Amino acid sequence: MHIPDGFISTPFALAMDGLSGAAILYAARRVGRDLADRLIPLMGVLSAFVFAAQLLNFPVLGGTSGHLVGGALLGILLGPMAALLTMATVVIAQALILQDGGLIALGANIFNIGAVTSLSGYLVFRLLAGEQPGGQLLAVSAFVAGWLSTIISASCCALELAFSGPIPLRVAFPAMSGYYALIGLVEGGLTAGALTFLSHSRPDLIKGRIYAKMEARDWIGVLAFVALPIVLLIMGGSSRLPDPLQRLLRLSLDSAPGGHAAYGAALSSGLLIRVGASMALILVVIAAYRWIRRRAGR
Amino acid sequence: MKHSFVDRYAALDSPIHILEARTKLIGFVSLIIAVLFVPAEREFTFFAYFFLTAALMGISQIPLGFIVSRAVMMLPFVLLAGVGFLWRDPADAAGIYTLFLRSSLCLILLILLTNTTRFSELLHGLRKLRCPPILVLNLAFLYRYLFVITEEVMRMRQARECRRTGRAPVVEELRVLGSMLGAVLLRSFERAERMYQAMHSRGFSGGFPVLAPRRFSWRDLTFVAVIALFIVLSFSDINISRLTL
Repeated sequence: MHIPDGFISTPFALAMDGLSGAAILYAARRVGRDLADRLIPLMGVLSAFVFAAQLLNFPVLGGTSGHLVGGALLGILLGPMAALLTMATVVIAQALILQDGGLIALGANIFNIGAVTSLSGYLVFRLLAGEQPGGQLLAVSAFVAGWLSTIISASCCALELAFSGPIPLRVAFPAMSGYYALIGLVEGGLTAGALTFLSHSRPDLIKGRIYAKMEARDWIGVLAFVALPIVLLIMGGSSRLPDPLQRLLRLSLDSAPGGHAAYGAALSSGLLIRVGASMALILVVIAAYRWIRRRAGR
Repeated sequence: MKHSFVDRYAALDSPIHILEARTKLIGFVSLIIAVLFVPAEREFTFFAYFFLTAALMGISQIPLGFIVSRAVMMLPFVLLAGVGFLWRDPADAAGIYTLFLRSSLCLILLILLTNTTRFSELLHGLRKLRCPPILVLNLAFLYRYLFVITEEVMRMRQARECRRTGRAPVVEELRVLGSMLGAVLLRSFERAERMYQAMHSRGFSGGFPVLAPRRFSWRDLTFVAVIALFIVLSFSDINISRLTL
């Protein structure tokens, strides 16, 4: 899900850098005001934990595997502000240490992987579990929070790739959302498992949650932070936006009354070739991926 | 336990390794931005950047195989873009070629930047470039405790592998893995509490003193000047081919 450089338009990427930078500055000031020196080692160690937890792979399908993203877990434990800082640290470190994701696309990646996951995880968990979670309710809400946060974050990534990048929406959205709906099950299960374990051994960490306090103006900031990229995408992509939308509209109009025949003929003409070529490309890339990974001996 | 995935080639001694971290950060970031802004139809400029990157790669003495193995990260996106272009007009197919050239150039530049600089020096450079201190501190802690927690995770995984036979049902596997993560999480929390007390009792004031081993020298000046000249030339309408020939 880490977007490399070049896959989203450069002005949009730079704007996202500015936006994520502003969000980090705000979160840093907000966190620094309350509990800075107690939180500093905690955030540092937890970012190392998230980084290391990704070594625990869980095989999903074929050669792919899922692992903990950690945004929802941190959002639930630390609250969105500290979780945003911690996840931003993780994403920056992934770019710098593993070259996972581009340098200029860092802002967009922090938004997708850090901010969106921790915010949505926190929100969903709060809505489902309330103030004093425990028992079965805790596990179920944590699972849903982890699962939904992964899907929402992958959908954001797909929308960015579609409206500001080269990948058409009808390929990006189903591919990413569908794949991550599956991966998200792992994320949800791991989030639920970890939180259940914590609630048995150190219930004070979940019951108290001293770090996760949100004020009214925090919510306003969060709202602006989430709304701005949408405005940016619509404004920046306005030259591209009408195109897929219009095509969708035309398709739905065509297929409504009696248009099925023309629609079907248009689809079937090149469809087989395209599907075949897509499958062949997928197989070739997976084979190349596995071959290089094996050669690299990782 | 082996974890050589970090900093493997950062301790070499090439002309690029001995530059100051700020110089490299500014130089490589401006190169990446420049590559991103090159218009798709100016193929010659792309090749000029490709040769510059290849030259930097050669100077830095980082093995080609390592760079290729790192570039694998990009493949899922290449796959998505490739499938996406198949579903578009064939006329767009030229775009995919510049897209791949562009993003692989950026990726190689990023690999060069991070593998010619030690992480601690990179952080020092970031701090000097006025990155928010709490973020730099977080990154420093991440780097410091990455190995500790990684070893904990690896030990725990080894213990699980030793004790289980066959495969449990998926839900059971997930539950075990979740509990393992919870245990590591708990240890991290407790470690952070101990660290807080240790830092507090030693008079923590919001930052770590850092030794600055490298200074800004004439080498850094040359590096920045060469890159600035290259970018200016590539974007001015002077034809580079005529200058170099």
